[in-house]
Amino acid sequence: MAWEAIFWLIFFLMNMALIAFNLYQIVCLSDLEADYMNPYESSSRINAVIVPEFVTHGVFCALFLLAGHWIMFLVTLPIAFYNAMLYTKRQHLIDVTEVFRFLNAEKKYRIIKLAFYLVLFAVVIIRIFSAGTFFNIFSVFHFNNEELDIRSSFLEF
Amino acid sequence: MKTTGTENADRANFPQRPAASPFTAASQSTTPFLSSGPVVGSEAFAFRPAPPNAPQTTPSAPQTTRPYLSSGLMVGSEASGFRPTQPVRYNDPSIPRPPSSFVPPPTGTLQHHPTPQFFSTAQAPPPRTSPGQPVFPPPIRAPAGHVPSPPVYLHSQPQISSGQMGSPPQSINYVPSGRSVPPSSSDSLFSAPRSTLQPLQSAFPGYSSKSPNAVTQPPPVQSAPVFTHQGGYGPPPPATSTPFLAHQRGYVPPPPVAAPPAFYSREQMQHQGSGLPMGAVQGLTEDFSSLSLASVPGSLDPGLDSKVLPRPLDGDVEPKSFAEMYPLNCNSRYLRLTTSAIPNSQSLTSRWHLPLGAVVCPLAEAPEGEEVPIVNFATTGIIRCRRCRTYVNPYMTFTDGGRKFRCNICALLNDVPGDYFAQLDANGRRIDLNERPELTKGTVEFIAPAEYMVRPPMPPLYFFVIDVSISAVRSGMLESSLTQPQMMVVTDLDDIFVPLPDDLLVNLSESRSVVDVFLDSLPSMFQDNVNMESAFGPAIKAAFMVMNQLGGKMLIFQNTLPSLGVGRLRLRGDDLRVYGTDKEHTLRIPEDPFYKQMAADCTKYQIAVNVYALSDKYTDIASLGTLAKYTGGQIYYYPSFQSSIHKEKLRHELARDLTRETAWESVLRIRCGKGVRFTTYHGNFMLRSTDLIALPAVDCDKAYAMQMSLEETLLTTQTVYFQVALLYTSSSGERRIRVHTAAAPVVSELGEMYRQADTGAIISLFCRLAIEKTLSYKLEEARSSIQQRIVKAFREYRNLYAVQHRLGGRMIYPESLKFLPLYGLALCKSIPLRGGYADAQLDERCAAGHTMMALPVKNLLKLLYPNLVRVDEYLGKASSKPDELNISRLPVTAESLDSRGLYVYDDGLRFVIWFGKMLPPDIAMNLLGEDFATDFSRVILSERDSEMSRKLMEILKKFREIDPSYYQMNHLVRQGEQPREGFFLLTNLIEDQVGGMNGYIDWIQQIHRQVQQNA
Repeated sequence: MAWEAIFWLIFFLMNMALIAFNLYQIVCLSDLEADYMNPYESSSRINAVIVPEFVTHGVFCALFLLAGHWIMFLVTLPIAFYNAMLYTKRQHLIDVTEVFRFLNAEKKYRIIKLAFYLVLFAVVIIRIFSAGTFFNIFSVFHFNNEELDIRSSFLEF
Repeated sequence: MKTTGTENADRANFPQRPAASPFTAASQSTTPFLSSGPVVGSEAFAFRPAPPNAPQTTPSAPQTTRPYLSSGLMVGSEASGFRPTQPVRYNDPSIPRPPSSFVPPPTGTLQHHPTPQFFSTAQAPPPRTSPGQPVFPPPIRAPAGHVPSPPVYLHSQPQISSGQMGSPPQSINYVPSGRSVPPSSSDSLFSAPRSTLQPLQSAFPGYSSKSPNAVTQPPPVQSAPVFTHQGGYGPPPPATSTPFLAHQRGYVPPPPVAAPPAFYSREQMQHQGSGLPMGAVQGLTEDFSSLSLASVPGSLDPGLDSKVLPRPLDGDVEPKSFAEMYPLNCNSRYLRLTTSAIPNSQSLTSRWHLPLGAVVCPLAEAPEGEEVPIVNFATTGIIRCRRCRTYVNPYMTFTDGGRKFRCNICALLNDVPGDYFAQLDANGRRIDLNERPELTKGTVEFIAPAEYMVRPPMPPLYFFVIDVSISAVRSGMLESSLTQPQMMVVTDLDDIFVPLPDDLLVNLSESRSVVDVFLDSLPSMFQDNVNMESAFGPAIKAAFMVMNQLGGKMLIFQNTLPSLGVGRLRLRGDDLRVYGTDKEHTLRIPEDPFYKQMAADCTKYQIAVNVYALSDKYTDIASLGTLAKYTGGQIYYYPSFQSSIHKEKLRHELARDLTRETAWESVLRIRCGKGVRFTTYHGNFMLRSTDLIALPAVDCDKAYAMQMSLEETLLTTQTVYFQVALLYTSSSGERRIRVHTAAAPVVSELGEMYRQADTGAIISLFCRLAIEKTLSYKLEEARSSIQQRIVKAFREYRNLYAVQHRLGGRMIYPESLKFLPLYGLALCKSIPLRGGYADAQLDERCAAGHTMMALPVKNLLKLLYPNLVRVDEYLGKASSKPDELNISRLPVTAESLDSRGLYVYDDGLRFVIWFGKMLPPDIAMNLLGEDFATDFSRVILSERDSEMSRKLMEILKKFREIDPSYYQMNHLVRQGEQPREGFFLLTNLIEDQVGGMNGYIDWIQQIHRQVQQNA
């Protein structure tokens, strides 16, 4: 069960990262829209995190498979496919020259993704607790501690 | 006018405005009937034009024709005269609408009078018709496939005419209006109501007949006579204006206004063959124009004579009424709205299926005497609204004794700076108004102080990147014309692979000789070059590094496909199978993202890129062109460049590129009133923020289009103001702001929007939208989207009038959009959109696409519907001087070509000179000397020692002077010399059916059918 607990912890962290990536992109786009940032800077910042985000999501998806969480795997699979498709078509990056034309669409796309990750986040949290992940993790330490606990042996004694 | 009954007679009349008005009057007369049931829409089917009109008409009794005449005249003239003012009343607060405008009502009554005249014409036919009448029946209709509509009228008349006249052509005309003419017959045809009326008619000689049935008929009549002209006349401008009035008035309060609308109707095009008026038929008095599309029974011909179709033979006709309405607006060469009437609600916008937007040409060349005034606000700083940043303009109103001014765009009350203060006079105008061009002119230029500069103005920099691969050497490109009048600084990149230190830039005035020597030595330096490769990408990068401190213009002369280093491209576009599939569009977009990135970087550092593509092979203009597209540059494409042939063209265009007035480091923004917002922008530029267009270099040959949308469901303002501001550095190193201001009324009627539509601007937007569409869809889809929008627009328009008028099989369209179908067709046949794989080379398509994305409206229209003129007669005349050169344009169709003639085809980018087979040999001899028998592809037309040759060159020179932005190269073509003739001329005769694309007539019929399908 320790492995399970570690998996869920990793899922948790990765999910946080994905949400952060998306939030960052949305903020950049909003700044661009409000003219706080010029398109060159905005798109280079966004483009810098797109590939990491795709990789993170791919790993995320693969880990679900490795961990045997079929349902979760299937839920995250479509986005992984979509990302892969964008990447192979080389459409994953923001086009500086046309960024304003697609601004709204790009924003909407990222907001939807963000919502998806938030839902996933809720699921991960629930699973962590329902599977007693934290408890298990702590129990591991606790167990180890027990053996080493001088007081207990002392008391027993 | 019509008494003669011959069309010619009609025509003569036509020009006269008064005549037109009479018609309207006629309609009005009818109105009485209508009035009774105007709302009902009385089955009378009456054509009554705009509803408003109807009301008006009612007041006026149809009856007294006599009085009417006298008054009628007045009215006619008057109407036209005061029109301008009237419009004003609409929105423009400043202009007081003249009471006179009201005149119209009386006119209405008066107008009737004309009818009598009309009558006469009508009568002439009547006798004939009477015999013919039997004909009229429905059966006739059947033949005419298209005419679905109930109105029977059409055919019968034609038949009659034919019977009597014996001339079949008339049938075409049979426009309903024609019917009206022959009362009896027509009546039967037209509508039952009429028949009833007929009795009346009889009672009144002549006119009476109409009055009864009147309602409907009269209008048609007018139009017919008036319009009959064949192809080309332009509608008299005044007339158009009148319609407006009518509208405005009419709509608001239906009152008397109505009369004016009549003018509009004229458009009907009929045309009759023989002198029979029949063909002429009546036009609607309405605001719309119509075209009858029924066929003659028993004949296979389409019921339409190509001669009556509207053609823009007078060139681009801008709507004048708008400028008259708002005299303070900037000239239309700077800003054109697709419709000068802004819809007041989103629901109205959604019924306007054409683009809603503007085409801006900020630096358009002003003719002598109309130079843009320059204002220096050195002491006060530039006066702007402090909230929306609008620049001071003639529509700002001063209040509070001159201490405050109200912004016309956001309505904020601003303080007037102390130094700018001036007292107001009794009318509330500033006393110093006459010394303030910014308060009296729609276009002004401000000298910008330091806060408008990011950095001190940079000297203009021209940087030449020259391809020296073997094909360039062979084609003679290097020798051609590189010693042009350059401006200040030139840098030369002598070898592509040499890393460039920053001091490669030289000041031209100081080291002109060095540059010249270098340029002269270029050919010899590389004459032994056998390098096939071109390292385009690295060269651009190097050039970019040199230039990014200063910005400027990079001129790239490319002769081969980039094949080394970054940005290398491969041959593509040879694969036939890609065409027609979903991947087709990928051929039209840059293959390597390097180009987009490079373009973005260039724009960021204020570098504009002009590409001169001189190859005879595929150079992937789609990719290279991207550099120009996003940097506000331009593509010059010289297929199969040979210096001996293209030298002149390259020299001229390069010189133009270097010497025309250019604005550097510029940004353009268009502001508009509350509730309206510009959403999308189309053209060659890059957006720097949502509404800021970044233009490293911009000049008079570039135009930008934008579309707007309504942000609020309902606009409460009466007028929407637009302000285009271009902040730039002039070539003299001065930072300036050019401001164009325009106002447009807000309307609640769709009809008014149509009336104020501007075909040129609409087509310009269509063109840009369609070309953008080809970048992500198939050509076919881009073409059909144009067609669909035209159809939707006409259908909506038809629905406006279908209830009150018997439209029958006629195709109706607003006067203002009469050329829209033709230009739409021309657009579908233009190089970027035409056909499929074989119809144009990929490079040619892309180059034309980039060019058309930047062309100002006038040039675009000329490119779409070129000038075709016959010159041999003029050349043959001994005495005529060039000043008398008054050559009429011909329809662009093979039928215009006479094998005994010599024709010049001019689309603004090139000349095609067509030699007929039977052209007298002496002419060819005189023009070409001993070359006239050889292969024309090698012959260069130059001035020879003969009168004729000099005259021809003079004509061509004149044509070139009309628009110097491109140099039209001569292409000589001999009739029957294939494939040359087909390539240069025949495929470009847009009215003909070429390679599976519709001809003009078929196109009109197709649109008409589609309009009716779901009407």
